[in-house]
Amino acid sequence: MNAKLPITRTWICLLLACPLMGRAQETMETPIAPQQVAKDTVIIIKHDTVWLEKEKVEMKEEVKVKIDSADVDQRFSRYDRRVHRYRKHWEALIPTHTKLQFAGNMGLISLGTGWDYGKRNQWETDLFFGFLPKYQSERSKITMTLKQNYMPWSVTLGKGISVEPLACGMYLNTVFGNEFWTHEPDRYPKGYYGFSSKVRIHIFLGQRITYDIPPRWRLGARAVTFFYEISTCDLYVVSAFLNKYLKPKDYLSLSFGLKTQLF
Amino acid sequence: MKSPKLLFIPLLSLCMSGCDMIDYHPYDSRISGPTDINNHNIEKIEANCKDKTVIRFVTMGDSQRWYDETVDFVNHLNQRDDIDFVIHGGDFSDFGVTNEFLWQRDIMNKLNVPYVGLIGNHDCIGTGEDTFRAVFGEPNFSFIAGRIKFVCLNTNAIEYDYSRPIPDFDFLASQLEERRDEYDRTVVSMHIRPFCFEFNNNVAQVFQYTIRQFPNLMFCTAAHEHHVFEANLFEDGVMYYMSDCMKNRCYYIFTITPDGYEREIAYY
Repeated sequence: MNAKLPITRTWICLLLACPLMGRAQETMETPIAPQQVAKDTVIIIKHDTVWLEKEKVEMKEEVKVKIDSADVDQRFSRYDRRVHRYRKHWEALIPTHTKLQFAGNMGLISLGTGWDYGKRNQWETDLFFGFLPKYQSERSKITMTLKQNYMPWSVTLGKGISVEPLACGMYLNTVFGNEFWTHEPDRYPKGYYGFSSKVRIHIFLGQRITYDIPPRWRLGARAVTFFYEISTCDLYVVSAFLNKYLKPKDYLSLSFGLKTQLF
Repeated sequence: MKSPKLLFIPLLSLCMSGCDMIDYHPYDSRISGPTDINNHNIEKIEANCKDKTVIRFVTMGDSQRWYDETVDFVNHLNQRDDIDFVIHGGDFSDFGVTNEFLWQRDIMNKLNVPYVGLIGNHDCIGTGEDTFRAVFGEPNFSFIAGRIKFVCLNTNAIEYDYSRPIPDFDFLASQLEERRDEYDRTVVSMHIRPFCFEFNNNVAQVFQYTIRQFPNLMFCTAAHEHHVFEANLFEDGVMYYMSDCMKNRCYYIFTITPDGYEREIAYY
């Protein structure tokens, strides 16, 4: 058990074996003593970084660990800490979940990924790409959405089911195509229309229900969430303003989605 | 275990009531309900006015985002029974958003008399023109009511960067001869009048020359400028009548008799 490589070497080994990482992790899962393996994780975290057992690494033919002069010193050098920080920061960019959303004025169907953060993971930021069929227009369109979610509460109901009674937030949607503009094209006098046909601001309210998948059933996700949202966008708000004719069902939109929590 | 069940009640009711709340995109051009309004209504107008010697019609326009005022216009006009048809001079939408066309169409469809819609410059934004074509029809069209030909034109040159012929002289030339034996007089309708900077003023004189080739050109109607006025634009005796926007609760009534025509500005 004390034959672990120093962290530095592990880093190098991981960096060298980037394409092999998946396999290296696989080998870790089985032979390591159970008490070492946290139930929910595949990668073993120690000192907030990744380490591999020496024997297991060297067993693999492909991974030739070259001992660097920097590795001889067992203490963490400035270099170690620097690389450690560097990796830690980049690791924060690994998306924590994927989402599939239907409707919501961001395309017929949108596929996205994103990050949750905050003390209780109550904040979420997503990036979606959506597809919009052409219907009566000349061509189908791609949209992109940046979405910010806030879930103030999460209520556990037992049996792995929890409910977020309120999810709210806003999203910015842009649609690709020459017929849409952010700034008015030169053919118009300045401020002729005074709005952008390309970028929409939406706000939404919704609810969610989450199922935590028991560890033995997990394939690609730790939990799945179903959500629905009621949203509206700037142009609809402006249209509804001062008009009795437009009813909530005209200017509000309903959308549904699925979120899979990767880790 | 009551709470999860209670939670599904709003969810289920949403699913049931929310079918028409599903929106894919403001510019999705996804049309529900009646389409090709102009062609359907032209059939009615031509049938109703076939043997009439006196034609009375209304021109209005610029109803964008003034839904309540447009509803009031429809209710007001439905109290009269002496109008043959209505010409909407364009700008159904403010942003070219698909739903705007559908909302306006649904309001205008409540009219007891048939109407036709011209394309306004706002109707060209984004996918607006595609939506307009689907909901109302071709931007350039014509119809004949009681031996008077109404030529309706897309004059929103500003929206096309000179990349398309606006106004379309090929269309005008074809209209001269089309159904020539069925009409004796002509009215030309458009959204943007000549000499507005949004008109292709390079061809303003050519435009005027071309429309004067039509037999007995009586007058022209336009909208766009959100105030009611009339002008002898080319000082050649061909009057242009510019209708007000719906916000100002105003429209024109034209009565064409065998001897000439009368006009009236109505407020509601």
